[in-house]
Amino acid sequence: MTVIDTPAAPTPSKKPAKRIGARVRAQRKEAIALVIPALLPIIVFSAIPLISGVALGFTDATLARNAETNFVGLDNFVALGGDTRFWGSFGIGLVWAGSVAGLTLISAMGLALLLNSDLKLKSLTRILALIPWAMPPVVIAIVWRMIYNPNSGPLNGTLEFFGIPGVNWLGDFSTALPAVIVVGVWSGIPQTTVLLLAGMQSIAPEQHEAAAVDGAGAVRRFWHVTLPALRPVIIAVTALDFIWQFNSFGLIYVLTEGGPGGQTMIPPLFTYLEAFRNREIGYASAMGNVLVLAILVILSVYLVNQFRQNRKVRA
Amino acid sequence: MKRFRGIGAIALAGVAALALAGCQQGSASGGGGEGDGPITLEFQSLSDQPTTQAAVKEIVDQWNTDNPDVQVSIVQGGWDGAYDKLITQFTGGTAPDIIHFEASSIVSFAQDGYLADLNDLVAPDLKSDISQGIWDSVTQDGKIIAYPSTLQSYMVFANADLLAQAGVEVPSGDSMTWDQFEEIAKATTTPEHYGVGWGLKSPTATVMSMALGFDGGFFEGGGADASIDVGDGELAVPGRIHDMAYADKSIDPTSLTQSGSDVLASFYGGKVAMTVQGSFQATNMAKDAPEGLNWVALPPIAGTAGAVQAANPQTYSINVDSPHVQESADFLNFFMSGDNLAKIAYADALIPSSGEARAAVEKLAGDDQAWKQVLASGEGLEGPPFLKVSKYQEWKDTVATPALQQYLADQISKDQLATQLTDGWADVNG
Amino acid sequence: MIARRPRYATVLMYAVLAAYLVFLGFPLLWLLSASFKSSRELNSLSVNLIPIEWDFSNYANALDRQNLVTAFGNSMLVAIVTMIVAVLLSMPMAYALARLKGRLRAAGTVWILISQVFPTILIIIPLFLVLRSLQLNDTLFGLILVYVTFTMPFTLWMLQGYVAAIPPELEEAAEMDGAGRFTILRTVILPLLAPGLVATAMFTFVSAWNEFFLALVLLQSPELYTLPIALRSFLGAEGQTQLGPLAAGAILATIPSLVIFGILQKKLTGGMLAGAVKG
Repeated sequence: MTVIDTPAAPTPSKKPAKRIGARVRAQRKEAIALVIPALLPIIVFSAIPLISGVALGFTDATLARNAETNFVGLDNFVALGGDTRFWGSFGIGLVWAGSVAGLTLISAMGLALLLNSDLKLKSLTRILALIPWAMPPVVIAIVWRMIYNPNSGPLNGTLEFFGIPGVNWLGDFSTALPAVIVVGVWSGIPQTTVLLLAGMQSIAPEQHEAAAVDGAGAVRRFWHVTLPALRPVIIAVTALDFIWQFNSFGLIYVLTEGGPGGQTMIPPLFTYLEAFRNREIGYASAMGNVLVLAILVILSVYLVNQFRQNRKVRA
Repeated sequence: MKRFRGIGAIALAGVAALALAGCQQGSASGGGGEGDGPITLEFQSLSDQPTTQAAVKEIVDQWNTDNPDVQVSIVQGGWDGAYDKLITQFTGGTAPDIIHFEASSIVSFAQDGYLADLNDLVAPDLKSDISQGIWDSVTQDGKIIAYPSTLQSYMVFANADLLAQAGVEVPSGDSMTWDQFEEIAKATTTPEHYGVGWGLKSPTATVMSMALGFDGGFFEGGGADASIDVGDGELAVPGRIHDMAYADKSIDPTSLTQSGSDVLASFYGGKVAMTVQGSFQATNMAKDAPEGLNWVALPPIAGTAGAVQAANPQTYSINVDSPHVQESADFLNFFMSGDNLAKIAYADALIPSSGEARAAVEKLAGDDQAWKQVLASGEGLEGPPFLKVSKYQEWKDTVATPALQQYLADQISKDQLATQLTDGWADVNG
Repeated sequence: MIARRPRYATVLMYAVLAAYLVFLGFPLLWLLSASFKSSRELNSLSVNLIPIEWDFSNYANALDRQNLVTAFGNSMLVAIVTMIVAVLLSMPMAYALARLKGRLRAAGTVWILISQVFPTILIIIPLFLVLRSLQLNDTLFGLILVYVTFTMPFTLWMLQGYVAAIPPELEEAAEMDGAGRFTILRTVILPLLAPGLVATAMFTFVSAWNEFFLALVLLQSPELYTLPIALRSFLGAEGQTQLGPLAAGAILATIPSLVIFGILQKKLTGGMLAGAVKG
């Protein structure tokens, strides 16, 4: 954030002209005027807490009254390296966030294609498709707990109607994580659909027409026109979904509290227990730092990979 | 450049730490006027049943009329998220003067030094009217950290018609043994329904509580030096539940993954003959049970050490940083008096801690059979060892609950359960 | 359209669309049904979409208790003000991010990423201390500022995409006519950006309307509670959930967002044209 007011680093080598220098300065002034209103709340309510949060990871801070806080260097990180329960939860988090982001993308893509086609009742279906977005997370969790209820839930009720024995969705070790993932996908579909739909509508109709003239069917048009054009949207949306899902624990907390038997104990839930239940805020912040690093690494690998493919496709 | 950045980061950490530490000795926000005017005490209450809220309000209004100089204002909170809210309030220095919570959750705030010692503040009459077992549950390092108000126990509710069908007599007497309970469960299990539905989605509280009936205390010592001992006494309750579910097949295994209220639906629907529930469910049953359901409360279950369960009372504590600790205690002494406490306990269907209040509730309850059993089960409540252990909450959430869930789902053996509980404690407390 | 679709394909498409809508909409339907069921029926084993005996008292109960009406008002105020302030603040900055490239943009992107990845739970106590030192804890104004800040990463990211999609030539033309930057912003960019602003507004409204944890921790006075907090109080202590009134309250909490969607729906889908993720 300091970039704005520090004088530019000595690198204006390419533009030696004085006139341009003045223009750059004028532009910087404008930039400051444009940016300050948003920057103030960001610094006060986001940057300061974030930086203190990150810094706390290098201390032994606790939440006790008048607790003494000492700088402990990398001790927390060393301890964390050997914390098998944390890494176990990290693995679950990857499965959770990865599958939710992936499945959301696939389902939202299908829905967006349908909404983008010439079917009737567009405005109604578009509102209906946004329903999950309109429900507060608490409500989502409660409704889905009712739906998954092994005795009186409509899901098992329907299965049993067809003679299929009911499943203890959230209670069974093998179905708990998949069941929670379905809820994650359900709640993520609207936003992703809207963004994909936006991307689809920005594809020029001429491209489709040209492909159609070449005799391409709907499937091939999707594969060779829609998908490549959507690639940047898809990359951004999946990356964002992945981050959000990796970081959100409200839904899982109300659905399963990390159970049964730790099957749905995702990292933010684990961090929460460490920070609030155990009041070891220093150690918990170290966890947060590790999570940030890990996610950044995963994301950069993903993004670099995708962009490289992108270039290949274009070439 | 690099070096500067390193030092800069350290300085930053220091600033952050200072900010955090420096703001911790906050005072209660309720303060009110320090001068001559009336003082105002903030009283954060969590009671969520409308009748209970009305009872609390009535008591507070009475106090405010009688004490124009010390006004109490109710800050209505909710149980859900109460812990998160309190921890931010305490750390941020805005916690109220009087705090309503429950023993096992308030303990960590006492350990962190946020609660006033009430040893010299509790009215002597009240102190002697509450059993030592209950006082133990709110005592940390010799300090009394809260007034214990109302308690629950785990009780067996039975469908009398299904028991009769199975030819089982409804047990009477002061208690029934686990063996008796298992016999009834087996006898009432038929192809159509199970003997018992037991909502053990969050199994730790129940297991830790009922293990006391077998002298299963789990922990020795207190604070950070506590050590764990998982032996036969500790494993008796989960072991018996497990065997009932998988050997006798008299407990519905699905119910072991559900919450208590979910299982009530099965009980109402005649899918289980008995259900183990918190005693407070008696009022919900009176409201929600179908008309024809003939339900009764059975005597408390007794292990080898008797019908003992853990006392985990609701509590009223005082913020140590409140400028009005004495006045807050005066109010709580009034709040806890026999008739007042009885009103609250009766509205919540909970067992009051003091003898006087219990007598008053008995009068209010008349000859209600369920209430009789509820009050009877209150006799065996003792302060459990785990309330003295610093890292109990973390062990409960990250070790005990997953391990017990796995054992009760028949995923691991009893030995593995013992190992996980013991090793997990070493990890957590290590 | 481009090519004639076989009839069976159209039928199939409607079927799949219907399946999607059932999947997405059924939970709301089930909630609606629960809100008309009696406590006795909710605590029974019956599985019915249509209640056996209709019970309308849940709504009265919900409105009666826990200051649900006050909370509704608070939530409305917070969500609308957050929406307006967030759009007003992020528009100029999004413009700067999109047009004035360079290090500012890199710094912005890094901040957006980190702020989304670092667990909120670890920021909450420093944030609380900041708010308290500004005397903004336990005020709706403080909560609004926090919401604005926390939704900003996404709104900026979305808006700068829309700005990037507007051809710079338009601005250059206005510049030739001697218009200053802010005049250009107001007369050229703003009208073209309108659809993107609508989408952003929707997002901030819904985020602020649904948020629970920050509101729980930052607000102390019951008269300031927002709707999600009031709803959670129906959950009660262990096992004391009052499903009927909770479902009724939840329905009431879902309606405003749906209404907003309904109003903005046309603009939204049209406006999303800009391709939010370009740039």
